[in-house]
Amino acid sequence: MSNEVKENGVSRRTVLKGAAVGGAGLLGGGTLLSSCGSDEATGPVKFTARTNDETGLKIAQALADAYTAETGIEVTMQGSGDTNAFQDGISQYLQGTPDDAFQWMAGFRTNFRADQGLLVDLSENISNLGDQMPAGFVSGATNPTDGKQYIIPTTWYPWGLHYRKSTMQEIGLDPEGLYNWDDFMKLLEGTKKKGLIGYALGDKGGWEAMGTFSILNTRLNGYNYHIDLLNGRAQWTDQKTVDVFKRFEMLIPYMNKNVLDISWDGMRDLLLQKKCGAIMMGSWWANDFKAQSQADYDDLWIVPFPEINPEFGRDSIDAPVDGMCAATNGTNPEGGAAFAEWCGSENGMLAAQAAGDTSLYANSRLDSSGYDAFNKQKLAVIGEAKNVMNFLDRDCRNDFAGPIVGVQIQNFLKNPADLNKILEETQAAWDALPPLS
Amino acid sequence: MTTTATKVKTRRRRAFTRKDILTLSLFIGVPTFLHVFWVWIPAISTIGLSFTFWNGVKLSDIKWAGLANYNTVFTASPQFYDALQNNTYWLLWFTSIATPLGVLLAYQVDRAIRGHKIYESVYYIPVVLSLAVIGIIWRFMLGPAGLVQVLLGHPGIEDAIPIFGNYSINTYVILGIASWRHIGYIMLLYLAGLKSVDPSLREAAAIDGATEWQTFRKIVLPAMAPVNTIIIVITVIESLRAFDLIYIIYGTSTGWPILGMLVFVNIYGQAASMLGAAYAVILFLLSIIPIVFYLRTVFREDIK
Repeated sequence: MSNEVKENGVSRRTVLKGAAVGGAGLLGGGTLLSSCGSDEATGPVKFTARTNDETGLKIAQALADAYTAETGIEVTMQGSGDTNAFQDGISQYLQGTPDDAFQWMAGFRTNFRADQGLLVDLSENISNLGDQMPAGFVSGATNPTDGKQYIIPTTWYPWGLHYRKSTMQEIGLDPEGLYNWDDFMKLLEGTKKKGLIGYALGDKGGWEAMGTFSILNTRLNGYNYHIDLLNGRAQWTDQKTVDVFKRFEMLIPYMNKNVLDISWDGMRDLLLQKKCGAIMMGSWWANDFKAQSQADYDDLWIVPFPEINPEFGRDSIDAPVDGMCAATNGTNPEGGAAFAEWCGSENGMLAAQAAGDTSLYANSRLDSSGYDAFNKQKLAVIGEAKNVMNFLDRDCRNDFAGPIVGVQIQNFLKNPADLNKILEETQAAWDALPPLS
Repeated sequence: MTTTATKVKTRRRRAFTRKDILTLSLFIGVPTFLHVFWVWIPAISTIGLSFTFWNGVKLSDIKWAGLANYNTVFTASPQFYDALQNNTYWLLWFTSIATPLGVLLAYQVDRAIRGHKIYESVYYIPVVLSLAVIGIIWRFMLGPAGLVQVLLGHPGIEDAIPIFGNYSINTYVILGIASWRHIGYIMLLYLAGLKSVDPSLREAAAIDGATEWQTFRKIVLPAMAPVNTIIIVITVIESLRAFDLIYIIYGTSTGWPILGMLVFVNIYGQAASMLGAAYAVILFLLSIIPIVFYLRTVFREDIK
C-alpha cells in the first residue's frame, strides 16, 4: 500500500515537472486521474508492442488474445509505431500516460528508467516464475543500483554473420568451416567475384554498424577492453581502438556503396533478395524470412564472427535480451506486471511460438528440443561464447552511445581517412560528459 | 434615467467601465497568461536549465553545471560546427537562390505572361504540404528502390545510388527539396504585395521610357519595402528553424546535422541531457535578432 502512495507521488511530481519545462510534459495531464483506483490486478490491461511490422504485431496480438483466453482479462494491444522514435521518446512516454506493459530491452535502457522510478519493480514476478527463469537471465535483468529486476526477460538473439545456404553453395563456399580472419577474407573475395555484395551494411539508423564495431573490438582486444572502452576506463585514442577501425576499413571494399542510405531493414532485404553474401546482424528479423516463405527461412543460417586474435578466439558475442516492463504511471500497473510475468512464462512463450515467433526464449521450460534447426544453431552460436554482451547502445550510457559513438561510426564510414580526428573527438566527448546521476 | 445615462457617458470618457475592464482583462489577460505560461516560462526554464546537468526526469536530480554544457558544445561536440555550417548553407542558399527565384516568379506571374495561371498553381502546390510531408514524398522518391532510382535504372537496393548518405551531394539535395516549397511560398507572399502596387506607377514609368529592369528596381522594389522586410525575415527564420524535413529523412541519427536536430536529440531523446538546452539557447540567440527586426517592422506598419 505504501508502495502505491509512492508511485502516485512520483506521477504527481512528474506532472508538475512537465508543466515547468513545457512541451515534453504535455502528455502528463491525465496521469493524476488515471493513477488512482488501480489496486486490483484484474482490470483490463493495455500493452504496447515495440514493433511496427506486420509479423511483430501479429505475434503481439496473439499474446494478448492468449492471455485473455486464459485469464479472462481484457488486453488491448497497440504497436509502438516507428521503433526508433519510440526508443527516443521512452522517458517522456513513461512520464505521461503509458500503457501498463510494454516490450523493452534489458541493460542500461531499463536500469536507467528504473532508477528514475518510471518502471514497476518486477522482482516478485520474477521469483513467481521460479525455475522457469534461468539464473543467467535473472542476473542479466538485475539493476546493479538496487539489485531488483524491472524487466521480465522473454526472448534473446545472437549477433552473428547471417547468410543464405543456397547463395554460398552457388559460390562454392562453406561458411561453417570459416574460423579465422583469412577464411573470412576469402569468403568476402569469393562473394565479390560472384558479383554480389560481400559484407552488406546499412548504417542510416546510426546503430547498425555498432554491431560490427563491437565484435571487431572484442575479437581484437577482448571483452574486458570493450566494456572498459564503453565506460571510460580505456581511451578511444589508444592504438588498440585505432586497430579496430583499421579492421573495419578492411571490410569497406566488400560493402555496398550506399551504406549510409539504407537501414537494418535494407540489410535484411539484401539478404532476402539474394543480393549479398553475409550480414553482421542480430537475428530478430528471422521471423520476416519465415513470413516470406518456409523455404526462405530454411535457407537462412548464422555463424559466429571469425576469430582475429587467437588470445580471445570467439569468446564474446552480442546477445541482447528483450523483455516486458510495466510502467509505474500506467492505469493498471499491477495488471501490467501480471501480464509481463505471464509473457515470460511457459504459456506466454508457447503462444508467441504458435504465432510464428522464431526467437530464442529465456524460459527454461521451452527446452531446445522444441527448437527448429536455425534456433538450435543460434543457441550453438551463443553457447560458444564465454562473454555475453547486451549490444553497444545498452552496454553504455545513452547520451554517449547514440549521439556520440553512433555518429562517429557514421563519420568514419563517410571518410575513413579522418579516423584520428574522429577518435580524438570521441574521447573529448566522453571526457565532457556530465556525471551520471 | 437620463442623468444616469449621461453619468455613464462622462465616466466612459474618463475611465473604463467594469464591463470594459472585464472584456479587456479577458481579451488581453487570457492570451497573455497562455503566452507567458507556454512560451516564456518554458523559454526561461530552458535558459536556466542550460546551466545545469539533468536527465529530464526527477526535479531533485538537477545539478548546477555552470558553463560546462556550453563548453562541451563549443569544444567537445562532434557535430556542432557541422550543424552550424549546414544551417549557414541553408541560409545562404535561401537568401541568394530560393527567395530571389520566388520573387522573380511572382513578378512574371504578376505580368500575366502566357500560362501564368498554370505556373501559379504548379509552384504553389508544394506550399500546401508541410515540410514533414515533403520529406516523406522525397524520401520515397530518392531513397533506395524509389521512383527516381527506378527511372535512373537502379531499381534494386543493392545498386541504389547514394543520395541522402552521399556527402558530396546531399546538401544540394536537401536544399533543393526545401526550396521546392520555399519558392512557392515566397512567390505567393510577393504576388500579394505586387497586387497592391498601384498599376498607374508602372504605366507612368513605361511612358517615361523606363526598361523592365529599371521599373522593377526603381518603382516596384521601393513600393514593396514592407513586404521585402517580411520576406527577408521569413527566409532567415525558415533557415534557422529547419528541423522537420531532416527528421523525416534522417531520423535522429543526424546524417545531415542541423542545430534544430541537435536540440532535439540532446533534450528529448534517450540521451536527454541539458546539452540540448544549451543548443536551444544558442539557436534562440541566433533567431532572436531577425525576429526582433521582424516584429519591429510589423508593429511600425500597424501604427501607420
